[in-house]
Amino acid sequence: MIRVQTLTKRYGDKTAVDGIDFTVRPGKVTGFLGPNGAGKSTTMRMIVGLDQPSAGIAEVNGRAYRDLPAPLREVGVLLDARAAHRRRTAYKHLLSIAATHGIGRARVGEVMELTGIDAVATRRVGGFSLGMGQRLGIAAALLGDPQTVILDEPTNGLDPEGILWIRALLRQLAAAGKTVLLSSHLMSEMAQTADHLIVIGRGAILADGSMRDVITGATPSSVRVRTHEVERLMAALTAPGVTVSIRADGAIDVEHLSAEQVASTAAAAGIVLHEVTSVEGSLEDAYLALTAAATEYRATTSPSGANS
Amino acid sequence: MTLTAPAHRSDARTRRPAFACVLRSEWIKLLSIPASLITLGGIFFIGMTGSLFLAATLESSGVPSVPSLERTMGDVTMPMVISGQIIAGILGVMMIGAEYSSGTIQLTLVAVPDRLRVLWAKALVAGSAVTGVAFITALSTWAATYPFYAEHGLAAPLTGPGVASALVGSAAYLGFCSLFGLGVGALVRSTTAGSIIVFAATLLIPVLSSVLPYGLLSRLIRITLLGNAGDAMSRVSDGSGPFLDLWSGHISTAAGWVIAAVSAGLALTAGAIALRRRDA
Repeated sequence: MIRVQTLTKRYGDKTAVDGIDFTVRPGKVTGFLGPNGAGKSTTMRMIVGLDQPSAGIAEVNGRAYRDLPAPLREVGVLLDARAAHRRRTAYKHLLSIAATHGIGRARVGEVMELTGIDAVATRRVGGFSLGMGQRLGIAAALLGDPQTVILDEPTNGLDPEGILWIRALLRQLAAAGKTVLLSSHLMSEMAQTADHLIVIGRGAILADGSMRDVITGATPSSVRVRTHEVERLMAALTAPGVTVSIRADGAIDVEHLSAEQVASTAAAAGIVLHEVTSVEGSLEDAYLALTAAATEYRATTSPSGANS
Repeated sequence: MTLTAPAHRSDARTRRPAFACVLRSEWIKLLSIPASLITLGGIFFIGMTGSLFLAATLESSGVPSVPSLERTMGDVTMPMVISGQIIAGILGVMMIGAEYSSGTIQLTLVAVPDRLRVLWAKALVAGSAVTGVAFITALSTWAATYPFYAEHGLAAPLTGPGVASALVGSAAYLGFCSLFGLGVGALVRSTTAGSIIVFAATLLIPVLSSVLPYGLLSRLIRITLLGNAGDAMSRVSDGSGPFLDLWSGHISTAAGWVIAAVSAGLALTAGAIALRRRDA
């Protein structure tokens, strides 16, 4: 369990994290989503005591991180996959971290096997790919068999196989009742992995809820219909508060009506429908809608075709 | 493959790991990078070859007519002290500078949130590794060069006045240099910048200060800099002369110890304050 209250970080006049509150609960994968520079990493660094908050508190299992007696046994942290001495072997790297908590060689061997780096245990970290670095970082995070896992962009640099692996691992950790906080700016990754979402932009929380709530809250759902009698159907559906639009491929999108209402209206008018589909917004749509105002670095051209 | 470690004690979560665990971690870190083994080996190699060179060329450089323990022990300890002080200081800087350059400082502080514990563990490891290697070097150098000096009746027996203390002093001085380097490294967070400061404090400024115009400031610099303390600590002195004489620049062996310890202590304190106060 991670609890953050009115957490604030200021660098001079610039406020990186602006009085945010959230709770990360056990048994779920919580995605921490936001554009670059939104304050994700700074928040995570404050949670684990690397950065001192300007105001507010961050607690893990009811205590400030630096008051945890044996932090690695409670919290596993991956902040930067590149954080390893290039000239040290993977095994010694893990052993040096394990030693701080009296964790033995057997457990080091276990996490190396679990993360699939046992074959390169005696190789120097400098020769590792980013994906291997991520696996090494995750191995380090799991050393103390922690109840809480905090991972900053863990899929960065992983190959498709690695991404599938980490997705399964995170699901497995959550299923075992652990608290999993995972940051990313990759929506597709979040959509597949997270149950709960916290969206942050310019240092403020934009949304905090289950994946479904966040998506439906930020994007309108619509009904997509196909028919040969486009004009008749559009006329039949037109009513106050209902938006009907025609797509380039000839399909009609209807907002603010359920699929059932659309089908009944069509039947009453004697119109044959070839397709009726409820279309929910994607996480990507929700994300873009939420962060539209809060994106710090954005190209002037907006992405086309984002409305799939 | 198991996700959870089956066999750890239930109290492991609630009990703070012993300081010995942090120490062990720092030893593993030190001994698992080639650079630190090279620097430690370098202290031995340079000290040994330098002194052997002086001993072997004793005849051609002119054998002193009067046996002098001070002169003989100077040849034994000086090569190690002069180059070793920089190597030891850089090793100290590297102990923490390499953590910042590689990013492992995050992992270190996440594992041990009490930052002073990390710094003290590093200090103990750097200090004992360097002092140990330097003492072995000094003793081996003394033993290896003994026959050369004995041939001319110039040998410095271990029981001779000040001989053993010169060996211990030269080793301890290198240890203080590594602590000084560690403190500076924690302050500047860069191996390069830290190494330059170590070089300046041990070698460059002591040399430059001798060409400064004669005045209170140049005297003070001469006396308080780390480099001159090493000279005093590794020298065989007859025990005469004042503890510290600002105007003649005389530093007694005891004063050398005090100056080196204070330098290392101040650097470590500054490093500790910086490490605690700043975001990692």
